Amino acid sequence: MIDLKELILPKDNLIPLLRKLNKDARLVIPVKNDHGDTLFTEISDLDTTEIDLINQPQASLKPFFLPQQETLAHYSINSNQYCFTAPDAAIDTIFFGVRSCDLTALLYMDLIFSKPSKDATYYDRRNHSLIITLGCNNPFENCFCEATNSGPYLEYGYGLQFIDLGDRYYVSAGRGRGADLLERWSYFFHEVGEEDHKVRYQLFLEARGQFSRNIQLTHACQKLQKETVPDEIWQSLAERCYDCGGCAYVCPTCTCFSVDDKPQSSNTGIRVRSWDACTSDGFTRMAGGHNPVTRDRQALKRRFLHKLKYDFASHGKASCTGCGRCVDICFGGVDITTFIELFTRQQNP
Amino acid sequence: MNRSFIPAQTVIREIIPENDQISTFRIEIIDKTILFTFLPGQFLMISVPHCGEAAISISSSPDALPLIDLSIRRAGKLTTAIHAMKKGAQLGIRGPFGTAFPVETFAARNLLFVAGGIGLAPLKSVIDHCLFQNGVEEDAVLSISLLYGSRSPSDIAFQRVINEWQEQGIDVHLTVDEKDEHWNGAVGRVTELLDDTRTANNTTALVCGPPVMIRSVIDRLKALGCEDTDIFITLERHMKCGMGLCGHCHLDSKLICTDGPVFSVSALTTMDVMELC
Repeated sequence: MIDLKELILPKDNLIPLLRKLNKDARLVIPVKNDHGDTLFTEISDLDTTEIDLINQPQASLKPFFLPQQETLAHYSINSNQYCFTAPDAAIDTIFFGVRSCDLTALLYMDLIFSKPSKDATYYDRRNHSLIITLGCNNPFENCFCEATNSGPYLEYGYGLQFIDLGDRYYVSAGRGRGADLLERWSYFFHEVGEEDHKVRYQLFLEARGQFSRNIQLTHACQKLQKETVPDEIWQSLAERCYDCGGCAYVCPTCTCFSVDDKPQSSNTGIRVRSWDACTSDGFTRMAGGHNPVTRDRQALKRRFLHKLKYDFASHGKASCTGCGRCVDICFGGVDITTFIELFTRQQNP
Repeated sequence: MNRSFIPAQTVIREIIPENDQISTFRIEIIDKTILFTFLPGQFLMISVPHCGEAAISISSSPDALPLIDLSIRRAGKLTTAIHAMKKGAQLGIRGPFGTAFPVETFAARNLLFVAGGIGLAPLKSVIDHCLFQNGVEEDAVLSISLLYGSRSPSDIAFQRVINEWQEQGIDVHLTVDEKDEHWNGAVGRVTELLDDTRTANNTTALVCGPPVMIRSVIDRLKALGCEDTDIFITLERHMKCGMGLCGHCHLDSKLICTDGPVFSVSALTTMDVMELC
């Protein structure tokens, strides 16, 4: 009997396998669009779509689980009374080509949205999802997942993990639906050989050696538990933060949101949940105008301290997955790596 | 459906004007099968169709259930819409949320309430509850005093209930920042009413008001010898969920909605309290 936990998938079998999977579920895979952007995209036709497993998807999986704007409920007003109706339920979705950092971020979101009770819309989508990751053999320019312990390959959390061995994938199954899927479609796969093991390990070592940035993330987290960040550091970061919110929006672990009613007519509307960013000036502004955390008071420090100080203290792990997207997007150059570098260089006075 | 974000409907039974800007809305949940209870200090998320939600503390005692009082200052779009409502109109509520004052520890203690403006609202819930409990000997507090600051005599809110409290033996001292020709009471900050006669042993202080006031009252109480563990404050922040998810009400490592709004000052000493004001 073959071990269903680890198998080899010849690359020629990938599209036929995905076609089978697509019969029962929506498929979401990185695709390069006409603008040259690689984005997770719902596949309508596997034969005419060019899957991009080379480039890093510019957005994480976050929008599929916590959409930029989602309808929590439709409402109508009948003599000043709210009547709520539910939005559409989630549909089964298989995500393929997900990078290790993005799955790690999703596991963090699972934690956030499980208290005080499981968030119904988030978990509806989550329970209808299966994540197939692709280990990174060639980390991207601004990636530092090794420092955040979230890549380049993963140990757990995935439905299936694919590692590209050239003409074949080394596939590992997680618990539950991932293993079921391998069993059901086992005829696409063959057993793992001695050589496959060796090649996989060699690629793993090579991948780890390719990180161009050495980010002292854990050191920064530990130092933050003991030391206060000097005001000069906050000041120099705040001066070059333009309050665009880009870092929070591309960040796979930034989950802050707003809830608002959006009128659709005089007596109907939707209650929506939409992304918000703690770096924004209005994030903490109260009715009447009082604002306890303004830009002058370095609103952006919340973002770094939340991820590196408070989450490290409460979960033993920073909520940064080293995906590097905030580094890519910040035109002021005041992303999380800049903060870590400034703070870890700082000598204890 | 994401039930966590769907409010229960209530009907406004009574509207009590407290001053030019503050009115108390006495509401009752329509669906009698909904189990609802709360503790003094907790808050609700209030919904008005098309306006969204705001966090409002409950100003009545749980002993007054099924009636719930919300004392609301007209400050933004949503509160202005509420102020335009009449008796019989409906409000949505979610909650209760947040931590409560430790009323179970107040028996046989002297309670000192220090409030500024609308800040009396959450403390009123405690005062009313303590007055109700006074009928039960083992839960009775030793004494209740209230120091209440307002901007001007016409800004003094809750005048009717303050008169009732005085009739029931509460030691009330009012002060205003600016007096008018009819005012012959104290003028100045509420901290100026604080002296060592009010902070004798066995005193628990409960403070709510503008952030600057809270800070100066804490400093003054500590200077008078109050222990951090005997001072409780309640804070106000912009909130979107009330459940510890949306992130808006952060204060250092805490979230006001789930770690607060009621804090013992001893819990604040480890925090960046600069953010308080």
